[in-house]
Amino acid sequence: MAALLEMRGIVRCYGKLRANDGIDLDVHAGEIVGLLGENGSGKSTLMKVLFGMVPPDGGGIVFRGKELAGHRPGDAMAAGIAMIHQHFMLVEAMTVVENVMLGWKESGWWLGRHAMAARIRETSERFGLALDPFARVADLPLGRRQRIEILKAVLREAELLILDEPTSNLAPSEVTELLAILRRLRQDGKGIVFITHKLPEVMAVCDTVTVLRAGKVSGRAPVAGASRAGLAGMMVGRDVTAPQILGEIAPGPIRLDIQGLSGPGLGPIDLTLRGGEILGIAGVDGNGQLELAETLAGLRRATAGRISLDGQEITRATVNARMQAGLAYMPADRSSTALVRSMTIADNLMLRDSRRAPYRRHGLLAGRAGLTKAKALMQRFDIRAPSPATPASRLSGGNQQKIVIARELDRNPAVLIAHQPTWGLDPGATHFVLERMIALRDAGACVIYISSELEEVLSISDRVAVIAGGTIAGIMARAAIDMPQLGLWMSGRAA
Amino acid sequence: MSETAGAPRLAFRLRRDGLFPRILVAIGLSMLCAAVLVALAGHNPLTAFRAMLAGALGSPYQIGTVLNRTCPYLLAGAGLALCFRAGVINMGSDGQIAMGGIGTAATVLAWPGPPTVITAIAALIAAILCGGLWAAVATAIHLGRRVHEVLVTLLLNFVALLFVQLVLSGPLGQPGAGFLQSPAMPRAVWLWRVPHFYFHIGILIGVFASLALSFLLWKTPWGFAIRVTGRSRAAAAYAGFSTAAVTWGVMLTAGGLAGLGGGVEILGLHHRLIEGFSTGFGFKAVTVALLGALEPAAVIPAALFVGLLETGALAMQRQIGVPSALVVVIEGITMLFILTATVRRA
Repeated sequence: MAALLEMRGIVRCYGKLRANDGIDLDVHAGEIVGLLGENGSGKSTLMKVLFGMVPPDGGGIVFRGKELAGHRPGDAMAAGIAMIHQHFMLVEAMTVVENVMLGWKESGWWLGRHAMAARIRETSERFGLALDPFARVADLPLGRRQRIEILKAVLREAELLILDEPTSNLAPSEVTELLAILRRLRQDGKGIVFITHKLPEVMAVCDTVTVLRAGKVSGRAPVAGASRAGLAGMMVGRDVTAPQILGEIAPGPIRLDIQGLSGPGLGPIDLTLRGGEILGIAGVDGNGQLELAETLAGLRRATAGRISLDGQEITRATVNARMQAGLAYMPADRSSTALVRSMTIADNLMLRDSRRAPYRRHGLLAGRAGLTKAKALMQRFDIRAPSPATPASRLSGGNQQKIVIARELDRNPAVLIAHQPTWGLDPGATHFVLERMIALRDAGACVIYISSELEEVLSISDRVAVIAGGTIAGIMARAAIDMPQLGLWMSGRAA
Repeated sequence: MSETAGAPRLAFRLRRDGLFPRILVAIGLSMLCAAVLVALAGHNPLTAFRAMLAGALGSPYQIGTVLNRTCPYLLAGAGLALCFRAGVINMGSDGQIAMGGIGTAATVLAWPGPPTVITAIAALIAAILCGGLWAAVATAIHLGRRVHEVLVTLLLNFVALLFVQLVLSGPLGQPGAGFLQSPAMPRAVWLWRVPHFYFHIGILIGVFASLALSFLLWKTPWGFAIRVTGRSRAAAAYAGFSTAAVTWGVMLTAGGLAGLGGGVEILGLHHRLIEGFSTGFGFKAVTVALLGALEPAAVIPAALFVGLLETGALAMQRQIGVPSALVVVIEGITMLFILTATVRRA
C-alpha cells in the first residue's frame, strides 16, 4: 500500500542553521509514527513545513498521492492534515460545540448547535472521547480540551493527525486515556505523527519511530524490538544514563520546618526537611503545587501556619528576607516569572540580586563587576551563548533554565524549591538539572522537588510526598516505594 | 564610558534596536506627505519648507523660541518615559503641569516681603510638590482602589484644568483683566534668559533632569527594578521588587517633573498664570516619551524635534499662509510615522 504521507529530502534553513537537513518521513494509514528528538533537533520545523507554516528550501511532500507544495495551513487542513498543538487553540468561554463550529464552513450560516451536538456525541462515542457537547471549555480539564482538538480533526475528516508533545500537560491517567484514543484512531485508519521526547509513551503506542538529531534522521526503527536505551542513544548521540542513583548520606539537622501552612487552595501542610535530602512532591498538576511553591517563596500570603528555615521564622518575611535567609526558588513559569526574556543574560543573572554585592556598589549597579560575575557563572554552569549581553529569549529552554539555576545556586541556598525544573527540557539538559539538584543535596542543603513527572520524582527523591487537593496525601521513603499507593494518593482517593 | 551589564552605551542600545535608520525613513516619509498636503493647499512645498526652517532656526531668537517650546515637553516627557518603562501608563501630565503652574503662581503671589531669587526657587519647588501631589492622588486611587491608571490620570487632568480656572476666578485672579489670568509677576522671579537667544534656563533644567533619569534607569538598582517591573510584573515580584513601591516612585518622579515643567513655563515664559497655558502639553509629552523610545536621554532630541516642528510650522503658517489646520495635520502625520517606526515589537 502506498504511504499516506511521503516527505522526501526536506531541507529548511534558518540563516546558517540547517534546521532540517534532508529528512525523509513516511506515514501509512493506520500507523502511529513516533517522532523523537531533543529540543532543537528539527521536529517542530519538519511539522511546520508539512503544515505549510514555513516553506521548505528543498525536498518534496506527497500526501494521499498528491503533491503538496507551496501550501499554507489552510490548504493542509483542506487536504486532510490536522495539527494538534501543545497549547490548545480553543475559546475557553465557549462550549465544546461552539468551539467545534468555530471557523468551519460546515457549521453553516445559521448555527445548528443541536444537529452538530448529535454528530459530536456520535463521534465522541466512537473514539471514546467522552465529551459533552454543551460543556464549557473553561470547566474542562486539560486532557478533555485536547480531545476537543482531536474531535475537531476527526469531524473535519483529517486523515493525518499531528500531535505535538500531546502528553506534556496531562496527568498520568489522562495520558493512558489519550493513548487508548490514539489506538482507536489507528484502527479507524488514520495516520498519526506523535511528537515527543518521552520514550515510554513511544514504546507504548507507536508502530515505528523516527529519531531526529541536529536536523537529520539519526535512526528509524519499528518499535517492536527497539530498546529504550537504543532510542535514547539515537536521540542524543551519547549515552545518557538513567538519572543518577542517589548515594546514601546521613540526614543533617532540620533545615526547613513547615507547620500547618494554609492559604487559598492550600493546606494545611506539615513538612519537615533535613539537610542532605531531596523531597519529591508528586501529584497531578493543579493540586496546589503552585500555591505551595509560591507561599514558601513569599509570593503568596499564608493565612495560617508557620515556616521556619534553619530555626528562623520566615512565615511573614518578604521575598528578599527569605532569599537572605537562604531560600532559593526556581518557578515553573520560566518565560515570565523566572526570567525576563527580553533582558540580557547578565540582567537575568542579577534579577534577584541587584541589591547585593557584587552587582551593587556604593548604591549603584556595578556594571563591570556584574559582567565579570555573569561571565564566570556562564562558564561554571555551561550557559551557551555568545555573550552576557545576549537576550535570554535567544537561548534554548535548557540554557534558559541554566540561567535560573546559576542564579539560585550561586547564593549557596539552604533550601531550594524547584517547581517543574525540567519541564520542556531535552534529556541532556534534564540530566544537567538533576545533577545540580543532587550536588546541592550532597552539599548539605535540602531540596523540594515539585514535578508532575512521577518517574523523575521517583528517580531523584530521598522521600516522595504526594500533593492532592492542596494537602499532602502521604509521604513515603525512597526505599519503600509502593506504586499502587502512590497512584491512589495522586487520584485523591486516599483513605 | 564604561559598558555595564544592564546598560550598554545609549548609542549602542539605539543601534541594536535599529532605531536610527527607521526614524530617518519615518521623517522622510512624513516630509513627503506634508509636501503633498502643502501642494494640495496650493502652495509650493519647497517655499513652505524653507519658511519652516527659517522660522525654526533662522535667527538666534527663533532658536530660543524652539528651546522654550521644548522645555515643558522635555520635563514631562522624561518622567513619562520612566513611567512607561515601569509599565505605568501615566496620562496625567497635563494636569500635573497645570498644578505645577498653580503652585508656582500661588507661591510668588503670596510671597511675604520683596520677591527675590529665593522666591523663584521656592516657587519651582512648590511646582514640583504640586505636580507630585497631583500624581500622588492618582497613584493612591490607582493602587488603593485598583482603578486603571489610565482612567485615573486622564480624568484628573480635567479636574486640574478646572482647578486652574477656579483659582484664577478667585484668589489668584486679576480682577478686571477680561481674561482668566493672574496678575503679572515681578521681574525678580523671572527665570534668567540667555542674552541674544532669549531662551530661559528651563531647557537646561530639562536636559539635566533627563540625563539624571537615564542614569537612574540604567545605573541604579532602582532603575533595574523599574525595568524588570515594566517587562514582567511576575518576575518583579519574584525578584523581590514591590510593584506598589515602583509605581509610587515613578509616578511621583514624573508628577514632580511635569509640575516643574509647569512652573518653568510660568516663570520663564508667561510670567503669569493663564487659563489653559498647559492644554495639550501632556499629550505632547506622551508623544515625546514614545518618540524617545522610552529612553530619558533620547527624549531630549525627541522633544527638540517636536519643538522645532511646531515652531517651524507656526512660522510657515505666518509667512506663506498655509492654513493652521494643515499645520496640525502635518504634525500628526509626522508623529504617526515616527511612532510606527519606533514601536516596540513584542
